[in-house]
Order: sequence, then structure tokens, then C-alpha cells
Amino acid sequence: MASRRGRIRFNVGGKIFETTATTLANAGRHSMLGALLDDSWNPRQPAEGEAAEAEYFIDRNPACFAVLLDLLRTGELHVPPNMPEKLLNREALFYGLLDQVRAARWGPFDGNRLQLVDSVSGRAPGDGTAIRAGPDGGCCVAHGSMVHVYDWMLEEHRPISLDYQQVNDVGYIDAESIVISARERLGKGDGGMGVFSSSTGELRHRFRVSHYDQVKSFTAGALSLGSSDYKIFASCKGRCNEYGIGVWDQITGQQVDFFYEPPGCCLGDADKLQWLDGDKCLMVATLFPRTDNCFIGLLDFRDKSVIWSWSDAGTSVSLSLDEKRVLHAIAIEDSRSICVVNQYDDLGFIDLRSNAGGVRWSSRSKLTNRKAPNEESCYPKLATHDGQLFSSMNDGISVFCGPEWVLTSTLRRSYGGSICDFSIGGDRLFALHSEENVFDVWETPPSPII
Amino acid sequence: MSAQKKRTFKIEAFKHRVELDPKYAERTWKVLEHAIHEIYNHNASGLSFEELYRNAYNMVLHKYGEKLYSGLVTTMSGHLKEIAKSIEDSQGGLFLEELDRKWGDHNKALQMIRDILMYMDRTFVPSNHKTPVHELGLNLWRDNIIHSGKIQTRLLDTLLDLIHRERTGEVINRSLMRNITKMLMDLGSSVYQEDFEKPFLEVSASFYSGESQQLIECCDCGEYLRKAERRLTEETERVSHYLDVKSEVKITSVVEGEMIANHMQRLVHMENSGLVNILVDDRYEDLSRMYNLFRRVPDGLSTVRDVMTSHLRETGKQLVSDPERLKDPVDFVQHLLDEKDKYDKIISKAFNNDKSFQNALNSSFEYFINLNNRSPEFISLYVDDKLRKGLKGVSEEDVEVVLDKVMMLFRYLQEKDVFEKYYKQHLAKRLLSGKTASDDAERSMIVKLKTECGYQFTSKLEGMFTDMKTSVDTMQGFYASQYSETGDGPTVAVQVLTTGSWPTQPSAPCNLPAEILGICDKFRTYYLGTHTGRRLTWQTNMGTADIKATFGKGQKHELNVSTYQMCILMLFNSADQLTYREIEQGTDIPAPDLKRCLQSLACVKGKNVLRKEPMSKDIAEDDAFYFNDKFTSKFIKVKIGTVAAQKESEPEKQETRQRVEEDRKPQIEAAIVRIMKSRRVLDHNTIVTEVTSQLQSRFLPNPVVIKKRIESLIEREFLERDKNDRKLYRYLA
Repeated sequence: MASRRGRIRFNVGGKIFETTATTLANAGRHSMLGALLDDSWNPRQPAEGEAAEAEYFIDRNPACFAVLLDLLRTGELHVPPNMPEKLLNREALFYGLLDQVRAARWGPFDGNRLQLVDSVSGRAPGDGTAIRAGPDGGCCVAHGSMVHVYDWMLEEHRPISLDYQQVNDVGYIDAESIVISARERLGKGDGGMGVFSSSTGELRHRFRVSHYDQVKSFTAGALSLGSSDYKIFASCKGRCNEYGIGVWDQITGQQVDFFYEPPGCCLGDADKLQWLDGDKCLMVATLFPRTDNCFIGLLDFRDKSVIWSWSDAGTSVSLSLDEKRVLHAIAIEDSRSICVVNQYDDLGFIDLRSNAGGVRWSSRSKLTNRKAPNEESCYPKLATHDGQLFSSMNDGISVFCGPEWVLTSTLRRSYGGSICDFSIGGDRLFALHSEENVFDVWETPPSPII
Repeated sequence: MSAQKKRTFKIEAFKHRVELDPKYAERTWKVLEHAIHEIYNHNASGLSFEELYRNAYNMVLHKYGEKLYSGLVTTMSGHLKEIAKSIEDSQGGLFLEELDRKWGDHNKALQMIRDILMYMDRTFVPSNHKTPVHELGLNLWRDNIIHSGKIQTRLLDTLLDLIHRERTGEVINRSLMRNITKMLMDLGSSVYQEDFEKPFLEVSASFYSGESQQLIECCDCGEYLRKAERRLTEETERVSHYLDVKSEVKITSVVEGEMIANHMQRLVHMENSGLVNILVDDRYEDLSRMYNLFRRVPDGLSTVRDVMTSHLRETGKQLVSDPERLKDPVDFVQHLLDEKDKYDKIISKAFNNDKSFQNALNSSFEYFINLNNRSPEFISLYVDDKLRKGLKGVSEEDVEVVLDKVMMLFRYLQEKDVFEKYYKQHLAKRLLSGKTASDDAERSMIVKLKTECGYQFTSKLEGMFTDMKTSVDTMQGFYASQYSETGDGPTVAVQVLTTGSWPTQPSAPCNLPAEILGICDKFRTYYLGTHTGRRLTWQTNMGTADIKATFGKGQKHELNVSTYQMCILMLFNSADQLTYREIEQGTDIPAPDLKRCLQSLACVKGKNVLRKEPMSKDIAEDDAFYFNDKFTSKFIKVKIGTVAAQKESEPEKQETRQRVEEDRKPQIEAAIVRIMKSRRVLDHNTIVTEVTSQLQSRFLPNPVVIKKRIESLIEREFLERDKNDRKLYRYLA
């Protein structure tokens, strides 16, 4: 067992491992193994032929070390069935290899190859309001005045509690920071928006709205986080007609702009905000049932103008129950259109290039069988990711691809009831069910070996 | 199976430890604290990384992260205070070395401490919003060392002193400087900027302000610029050797401001060595240096440009108004071309072909060329000279070059129509006397004018060429038809010129000698026979003739003379002596022309085929002329020129001017009518500007003339004045 050049011997918890310096180099200098082998901790280089005793002892679990060493050798993660995930993660954290483990767990997101990997049941008494995926694979779920936070290992952290203020929307600034918008309670002057730590649940910063240098209390609604210029947008309702869209800087936390609601456009009540990087404008959608008439507009903050808008007001005189109503909307910048969905799970498209166009409905509703009307259902939601369009309806999520948005996959689980919200991020899809108050985690398995 | 057993065993071991010892945290921290001491004391070889890492891990795991972190801050601060003391105590020159060495030590220690505390850095630090270990180490170094009262000022003074020494020529330890500035940068850009860069720039500004003050007193412009340039390169080099890259712009702008911007005016106007002298001496290197340096400062280039322009205008004005120069048009134009060449070369060699300089050059030339209203004539004469003889033996490309240069001057002319007039005259003379050296060159010149000014400008010139060509054909046809009758009699070569294309003055034909008259009539019959409906007039004032003459001793000469001269000489076939009056009656030549002809026949030495009584230079009306029997010449062929100035005489000049003015009238009127037709109603000033802009490519119309033309058009009822507003004109359809 004479150690030759480049070979390294470990004694982990009594078990001997032998590997090479090249394999260990995959751990990186900023890992425990990288530091252990660094010159500064090994002042005397063992001479050639010597060093049978040059063996590194580590007082840790050898079984986990074997798995992690295999990960360093091959880049793949194979966990024996009898090894709890939690144990492995703990050991990976000790060695500073958690990032490698996470990267090996699941592959790049592809809506057509998703697999259900976990279902987490929540403890909230009522229906969930919203679920948001974090950038690193974690997620948070808003229920009433609470936000439950899960990291990528799906470990629950300390929940964020807002003291009876109703949470309207949540969003991740980064894996560490969550923005929460909350409703103002009558006469209390609270509500508004804050940044909370995802690991400890502490409030770190409160966003203010000031009008004419006076700080006002307000209700914050939908949120959107601009990715390129570090801005946060939120629909705001103040007590004294301060309706509109507020803008804050993610880094300084200061208010940088406010778009007052022009007549005829409902901005303060908006359900959905979406920052469009290419056009440098914000899509605002205010939808049924919050208002009787749907309004969708694109706002340019540079000159405070509504550069495009659409509304269903006045399109039909008698609004019967069977009327197709726009219930959710999402802008697809690449195809210069806004995709909308109605109560029958029909997709519709509105062209962004012309200002007075109508909704072009696709007739997909005839293909899918509708749920019995007596079953409780949720409003459908839409999302896009990397050229794929996702639409939730009842207990399933449909995936559409290609320029014509053809239905390519359906994600469905046998229990849990209808889906009230879903979110894509960190290469994962999270779907929140209303009835059982559970959320599902879908991810793309790593690419096959051959 | 065995692996599973081991695992369960291990986990239980952890759990035991938690319950174990209440003093556990204190003890573990002592181990780690000791290790940090050992690391700072260069005594780390006895330490076990695995053990230390495990201890730090356990402290964090068991919620003693805060204790670990604050312990680290206290321990590290303590060490840094000691280090500060040892740096403070270091002797003068060794101060920087000591600082650099300690900085190296600290970095190494920091790396090892970070290794031990890696787990804390990963878990406790982000979730508790602490500063990561590495950054913490830098901050503590900054606060305890760099910002400690005794070190801060000493460090700055030492650095600035070293830089000053290097500027005055000493050699300093650059790698040490680099290490120190690198340290300041590592501590954050604000540390580098506040603790070093800002004072550095201030000191540099005062250094260069002093130096430039000194230099400008004792150096000439060229030398000053050389020194300034060297200083700039030195500073750039300094930045590349041991300063932050971002400092380059700042320090060079300091040098530029102090050494160039502040002394700009003084430099360009420096006596005996300023910009004008450099321009005159064609010192390209200095010019290019000046351009490159002045380009860096605001208004730098415009200063250079203004001086160049005013110098150019001044010298140009002298050139075109120098009466000596006006004597020789060819020389005059050649000088202009040389001047243009000189500055073109300067701009391309030294001024980076800068467009703004080219524009300044062009506008200067335009300015002074048009100061002299004979420029169009002279330029045409220059072309005439070149096309007559100047281009013989010169390759086609060189011809093009010369013509292109002339075109360049032509572009500067405001009175292009005057040029056209002269060019037509000169071209006509060249063509009729068969003096064109190269047909290709002539045509190339026409093409150039055409591309420059359009078809209209050259259509008549082209017509002249066509006439020449058809004349050759006509003569061939004529002699073919007259074949049988040609004997010993005189032959004629007739050039049929289209009226209007040529600059002919209507002149009464002189009396041709009988010998010629016959063949002339034959030609007239032949030509009118082939071309019906035309009228032929003889332009006897423009022809030439070759006549054979036999003199006293029987020697024969062939005399090349003008048609007028021929007519005079032919009279002497029948008489040996004739008075001026007799000649005038016999030939009918207009008096001024006749005098000129006689002068060239009788008064030019070596070519005096006639003798005049009394002998004098001028022809008087009562002079008598004799056939000069004693005429001798070495040559068989004798060319008797006409005493005619190349350059126009004063009255001729007046006449040409008059004609030009006359020609302009219809053009101005046409322009006014064109404009009024489309605009219907306009006020006076607008018409003037519009007309000026329309005619600019040909000439610069005088506003007074425009006003006269408008009045004339009103008289002829093309326009009327508005009844309410007298300043407005109305177009009458």
C-alpha cells in the first residue's frame, strides 16, 4: 500500500479510502477537502517513497463519504436506498459539497420530462394563497398571514408570520431574501411590503411609499421583480387615492418611482405584474373577479405612459355566466403577444403589436374533458419557462410547446384536489393544491448516462 | 449492512457530545484561539486541520456560532494591533518593506483561518448577516493598520515621496510600490481612492503646474511639447507598473490640464517657435505631436485649427494680391497648388487626416482665391499652359494628377461661369491653332468639369470638339470632290464652327487675296451643296496660313503667319512699298488688329520680313512699309507670332467681365421665375437667398443685380408687387 505520487489515502471513521488528487480537485479549494490538502496545512511535502503513514484521518461517517467520493469521481449522485437524504445532506454540508450534491440531484428544467419527486403537506388551516419557487430550488407558500419557507432540501425553516396581516403576494430577491406584500388593516396603518430572511424569518427591511415627502401606509398587491435592473414593482392602494404601481430598488430598498393610476386603468388592484426586459416596460393585468372588466396594459415608466392596453369592457352587452372571461394573463415577449386563459381552460392570445386587437381563442376546450361543475375548482394560472407555456386547471398542469403552442404534456396527480397556484424556478416546478394543502415538487431527472 | 451499522453508531456519538460538557464551548474555543495564535506566529506546522475544522464545525452545530465569530474578531484584532506596533516601530526606509511583509503574513494567516472556519462561513455567516471571514480580515486590517493614526499619514507621505523621487529621475523599488497599492485596492476601491489616489492627484497637479511654468519660460514650443509628451508616457507607464488601471484616465487628465490646457495659447503663439513657424518649416513631427497632445484637452484642436486658418488666410491673401505674382498666371496658380500640397501633406502626415482640419483648409482657400477676381482666368490659363506644352512627355497618370489638382482649385471658385468663359476662349485658341498637346487630356478635363458642374456647363465645350472632328471629315470630302482641279494653287483647311458654341466675336471679314478667294468660294459651294440651309461666315481673325516667300539672295523661307498677316504679305507680291493707309484699304483689317499684325511683321527682331519707315517700335498711321529684301534666318520655317498678350489686357478684361455680367442676367432671371413659379408669393430677402443658393454652383450673384432683375421682371409683368405689402412679390402666371 505504498502511496505513489498523486494518490491520497483517507481514513474516514476507521475505513480506508484511496483516491487521487485530481478527483479531489473537483471538490474545489473552498471545500473542506480542498483546504485539507492545501500546501499551507501540509508544510512538509512527503518525499517520494516515504509517506506510507501520510494518511488523512477524518472523524465522519464512512458510508456517506463513499457516496460523496463517488460524486467527485463521476459527477453523479447515487444514494443507497437505506441512506436517509438528510444524513447525506448533512455530511455534504460538512465537507462543503452541498452545491455539488444539489447540482447532481436534478437536471436543467424541461416541462416535458418532469417527474414528481415529492409531496410536502402543509400545516396551514386554510387555503394557500400563493406558492413561489426560489432561485436555488427552495420555495415558499403563503397562507393567510403566514409564509412557510422551504429550502431546496425541502426542509422547512422558521415560518414568516405577519401578525394577522393578509399576505397578498411573495417573491424571492435571492435565495436568502423574500419580499412579502401585505394588506393594510383598517385603521392600523400597517400593511405594505417587507424583505424577510428566508433562513430565520426576520424582517430586514420595510419598503415605504411616500407622496409629497409624506410616508403613507398602503396595501401592496401583486409583485414583480425585474431581473436585469434590480427593481421591485408592486401594485399599491393607499388611503388617499394613491393608487398605482410603486417601484423600489432591490439593493438600497428605497422607492425610486411611482406610476399613478390614470383614469380608465386599474393599476392599484392589479392581479399580475410582469416586467418585460426586452421592451423595458411592465405588464399589468387586473382581472375577474377583482373587477368586472379585465384590463391589461403595458406601462413605460420612463415617460409614464400606457403604451399598449386591452380591456374587455363593452365587448359584450350581456355578460352571461357562460361568457368567456379572462382569468389570468402572461406576456410572452418572444411571440409579441399576451396569453390569457378563461374559465374553460381555453388559451387565448392578444397581439401586442396592434393596439385594438381582440382575443384570438384557441379551441382547445373541446379536446379536454371538463370537470363536473359541482366539484370545487380554482382559477386557472399561467406560467412560461424557456419557450414552454404552462397552464393549471383543476388538478392538472398542461404543458404547451412550439410556435403554435401545442399541448405536449400533462402533469397530474391522483389526489390533493385542484391546483390553486404553481411556480417554476431553480429548475423545479412547485404546484400548490387547495384541498389537502399540500404542494408537489416536480423536477427533471439528470440526463441519462448514454 | 456493515456500513449501516457504522452510520448509526456515528450519529449517536454526536448526540452524546451535546449532552456532555457544559464547558465544552469554552474549551473548544481555547483550542481554536490557540491555533489562531500559532498561525500568526508562523508556528502552524503542529496543527491538525482536521481537528480544528471539526472543532469549529461542532461549535457552529451546537449554536456557539456567535461565540466563535466574536472570538475570532477579538483575537484577530489583538494580533493586528501588535502588527501595527511593529510596523510603526520600523525604521524610515524599511517602513514599506515591513508593511508589505506583514500584509503578506496576514493574508496567509487569513487564508488558514478561513479554512478552519469554513463551515461557519457557509452556514452561520449568511443566515446571521455577518461579514464573511475573508472580508472581515480585510476590514480589520484596514481599521487597525491602514487607518491607525501613526501609519496612515506616514504611508501616504512615503508613497508620494517615492513617486516624486521617481519623477525627478531616481530609481525606486517598483515591485514594492505595486504590492502596497495592490493592498490598498484589495481593501476596497474606496480605500485606494481616499487614502492614496486623491492626494496623489493633488500632489501631481501641483508638481506639473510648477514644472510647466518652469518649462514654458525656457523651452521653445517644440521642445516643450516633447517634454509634455514624455511626461504623459511616463505617467501611463507608472500606472501600468504599480497603480490601478482606473487611475490612468485621472492622472493623464491632470497632466493634460496642467501641461497643455493651461498653456495652450502661449504655446501656439510662442515667438519664433509657435505653430506658424512649425507650419512654415513643415516640421511634421512637431505638428503631429501637437495634434496628438492638443486633441486630449477641450478646445485644443480648435485652437490649433484657428491659428492654422488665420495663418493660411493671411499668407493666401498676400499670395493672391502680390502684384509680382499677378504678372505670371502660371506661376500664380503653381504657387496656389504648392501651398495646397503643403497643407494637404501636413494634414495627412501630422493631423491624422482630420476632417475638421480639411474643412478649415478648404474654407481658407475658398476665402483667399476669391479675393482676386482674376483667379478664374488664371486657373484657365494654367490649364491652357499645361495642355499646350506643359504635359509633353508626362505620363497619363501624372496628367490626371495635375488636372485633379486644378479641379480642386476650381471647386473653390465662386465665379465658375467666369472660368467657363475663359476656358472656352482658351480652348478655342488651342483647337483652332492645333496646339493641343493631348486630345485625351483635353477630354479628361472636360469630363472632370462635367462631373463637377453638370452637362449644361460643358455642352458647348463638347460642341467645339465635335466641330473639330466634323471639319476634318468635311475637308476630306471637299478635297476628294475637288481632286481633278487641285494643282499648284493654295490649299485651305476650313474649320466649320457652330455659332454659339465658340467664343467668336462677330467681325467683318477682311479682304482675302484673290489667290485664296477662288478656293474659298469653291469650298463655300461644296459645303452649302452638302449642307442645305446653312450660312457660312469667314472668321478671318482666327485663321493661320503657311506661305512661301523668296527673299533677296534667293533664299526661300516658309512663313507661318496669321490670316491677317497673310493678307498683308500677299499685297507685297505686287508692290515693294506700301503705306499704312494703302494696306488698310487693301485688306480691310480692323485698325487695332492691323497695327498688331504690322508690328509683329516689321518690329520683331529676326522675324522682320517687312521694313518700316521711320524705324520705331509703334505703328503710326502715316508709316510706310517695305518688303525686307535682306531678311535672313537660320530656319527654313519661320513662325511669325502675333503680338498678343497671353494674359488679357485691361480693356479686354473689362469686356470679358461685361460679357459675363450680361450672361448672368438671364440666368438670374430664370432662377427668379423658377422660384416664384413654385412659391407664388415671396418677400424680397427670401428671393435673394433662394436665388443665391440656386446659382451658387456657378457664381455668387450680387444682391443689387438680383434686385435689378426683379425690377426688370416686374416691368415685363412676370411679377408684381403686393398691393398691401410692398416687400412682397407675386408671380403672375
